Amino acid sequence: MPLLTAELARRLIKEGRTAKRDIALPAKFKPGDRVVARNIHPAGHTRIPRYVRGRRGTVDRDHGVFVFPDTNAALAGEKPQHVYSVRFGARELWGPDAPARDVLYIDLWDDYLDPA
Amino acid sequence: MGGMDGFGPIEREADEPVFHEAWEGRVLALTRACGAWGKWNIDKSRFGIEQMPPEDYLRRSYYEKWLWRLEKLLVEADMIAGDEIERRVAELKQGAP
Repeated sequence: MPLLTAELARRLIKEGRTAKRDIALPAKFKPGDRVVARNIHPAGHTRIPRYVRGRRGTVDRDHGVFVFPDTNAALAGEKPQHVYSVRFGARELWGPDAPARDVLYIDLWDDYLDPA
Repeated sequence: MGGMDGFGPIEREADEPVFHEAWEGRVLALTRACGAWGKWNIDKSRFGIEQMPPEDYLRRSYYEKWLWRLEKLLVEADMIAGDEIERRVAELKQGAP
């Protein structure tokens, strides 16, 4: 039996596959919490952008539970955890020349964050 | 790329085709078909592209990166031998069918 049929291929291209997991896990943070992105430099894959590491932000909302890319990329398990949209002020990221009212929202996993 | 600048403006192409060359579609199809074996996942394949030497990463086109990545994943998953592609390329250059 073929692993990938034309019909399955069509669906994969059109809909993709979700990394969301339907697991009830306690969230480390809630909307409004002040957080600091961990200053980590893993040798493998990570989805935490360099420019937010060590920067302070505010949890805007909780997206739910998702596969953790760092361990999943190493085939070391999905390690599902909460992902939040975290708001960073442009000046926190880019310095005093950035516009005062600009903000950036970045999706970050529990393991990328500490309480600020 | 995130946090980097100096790459100049994005060039917009009128009526941009899905693929600029026929081989690009084959690379997409090969990547999907090989991925269906479940030997890797999207995060491992993202890491694959990240491991491309930076001087190549900045120079190569989108699907050239995909092809480089696919060859790497196939070797890592023991689905092909490390020198298998080079050997086949050499054969084809000598006119093998």
